[in-house]
Amino acid sequence: MKLERDDLLKLYRNMVLTRKTDESIIDGIKTGRVVSFFHSGQGHEATDVGGVTFLRKGDWAMAGVRGHGVGQAIAKGLAPREFLAEHCGKATGCCFGWSGFHTANLELGLPGYWGTVGTTFPITLGLGIACKKDGKGNVVVSYFGDGASGRGTLHEAFNMTSIYKLPVVWLCENNMLAINMPASEAVASKDVADLAYGYNMPGVVVDGQDVVAVAEAVMIAVERARAGDGPSLVECKTFRFRPHSEGGKMIRGYQPIPEEEIAEWRSKDPIVLFRKKLIEQGIAANVELDKIDGDAAAEIAVAEKFVAESPLADPERMFNSLYA
Amino acid sequence: MADINFARAISQALDEEMARDEKVYMIGEDVRAGVFTAQAGLVQKYGEERVIDTPISETAIAGSCLGAAIAGYRPVADMMFDDFMLICMDEMKNAAQWRFANGGFIKVPIVYRLPMGGYVGLGADHSRAMFSPVMHLAGMKVVVPSTPYDAKGLLKTAIRDDNPVCFFEHRLLYRTRGPVPEEEYLIPFGVADVKKEGSDLTIVALGYMVQWAMELAKEYEAKGVSIEVIDPRTLEPLDIDTIVKSVEKTGRVLLVEEDMTRCGATAEIGMQIMDRAFDSLDAPILRVGAKNFPIAGGPMEKLILPSKNDIITAIDKLLGR
Repeated sequence: MKLERDDLLKLYRNMVLTRKTDESIIDGIKTGRVVSFFHSGQGHEATDVGGVTFLRKGDWAMAGVRGHGVGQAIAKGLAPREFLAEHCGKATGCCFGWSGFHTANLELGLPGYWGTVGTTFPITLGLGIACKKDGKGNVVVSYFGDGASGRGTLHEAFNMTSIYKLPVVWLCENNMLAINMPASEAVASKDVADLAYGYNMPGVVVDGQDVVAVAEAVMIAVERARAGDGPSLVECKTFRFRPHSEGGKMIRGYQPIPEEEIAEWRSKDPIVLFRKKLIEQGIAANVELDKIDGDAAAEIAVAEKFVAESPLADPERMFNSLYA
Repeated sequence: MADINFARAISQALDEEMARDEKVYMIGEDVRAGVFTAQAGLVQKYGEERVIDTPISETAIAGSCLGAAIAGYRPVADMMFDDFMLICMDEMKNAAQWRFANGGFIKVPIVYRLPMGGYVGLGADHSRAMFSPVMHLAGMKVVVPSTPYDAKGLLKTAIRDDNPVCFFEHRLLYRTRGPVPEEEYLIPFGVADVKKEGSDLTIVALGYMVQWAMELAKEYEAKGVSIEVIDPRTLEPLDIDTIVKSVEKTGRVLLVEEDMTRCGATAEIGMQIMDRAFDSLDAPILRVGAKNFPIAGGPMEKLILPSKNDIITAIDKLLGR
């Protein structure tokens, strides 16, 4: 698909709002507002947002674990306040406040979140079976990391989506670390995308810091899936700016990651890079982008107030929710 | 009311529910052919899109059911052996918990059909009765039918339930026959069936063990001992009220299952009886089940699995004979 100016600004807006929501959760951890833990997705915004922003209603966005699916949820239209409220244990959260950190909204195509790495492979397979049965051309974009690529669930789901020609886009966010385990020691192939060959599906590698590159690659795979030609694998090379879990350290193997290396990655901040590109290419002026930044900051401020004033999760509702 | 066998009752339930609701589909290894014949003829009638054969990928089968259920379908997975469900326990746990852990608004209608059980000589890999592992999955319903009538009515209810259900089918029951009405019927979950009334002793038995309990109850009847046989039919939800009512009447209770007694379903039922009916007990609760061993293969399995003699010994002990 050709991205128009409005599309590009939408990508920018979604990335900024994702970053600000992420920052709000980290602030909430420091100040005690957040009830559980957080695995920040900062640095991943281009992939989280780029693979989902141009999906349509009826398509599913299955998040992996990183960022608790914040970017995918926002790109699918979830209000940040629902994400924040869920993390703060409030009844106004997208899962009514007792999940701790999950994101779900069926109307928006968010099937639910799960914290077990690699669990999403077979669930995605099932969503793909449903999309094919529906026959409406809907697709599933399913995220996973280099860490999850070690799970056996990947093999079963990759194989079956391919033999059944299911409308699925597998999106690997390779940030080169599974908690502290480097991908160089944990992934046998050069690229995770190399796996695609064995499953008879296309596999591509893109720069995960370039939101346009991600969006374009994913939408090619989406069109192929809609046409009934089956799954694809898009691997996005990226980096996370923060530790695996808030409060942890930046470790590779068992050694600290050198400051210079972290600084180099931070210089590839996908939001900063995209902003620069939009201005250099004359697509948007500084003042327009400043307004998007300001609007996002204002939305988060309003959301934080809303969350602060919201009631806590309702125990009665929780205890009535085990069975349908 | 015609007599049909248990496998035919399962097949009728699948057929009727697939005809009634096009969202229902079957998935599993060799489901087109049907390893245990319970789904004969369905692929010819409903096509390969609704009788989905898979590679040997239990994890993907079980987990795909969750994805499809979230999206509005009603998958019925054939897991072939309940022993194999341990391969995909994470997926079944997620199916059980998905609704609760994601805000309580997502429906997860899945049936995991679990052919199971020993006395066929299939060894440690294919013989287990594993009720208790799935009773530990909060959000999962657990069904253990013992007759063709119950199997059909409970499977239809399971398929219409908006929650995940583990449905245990003992392989030795497939060829057992019993009356099944021509007209449609459903059996609600959480309603135990008093298979035989009695006044001296209560036997609560699960699945295939109900057959043995009934045979022995008849033998004891001839000796002037009146045994009440209760089949809980579903372990989650569990109809403890019917069991307690019976214990209050007889004062003596024997719990029989094919699973290991250690942490077995009967351990849970026994403790609930203690909680609710301790004052009515005239004798300690007794249990008969498999020894705490893997199941041996071939004829040696008899030394591990519960036997009719074990049940007779327990009955006599309870009666003080």
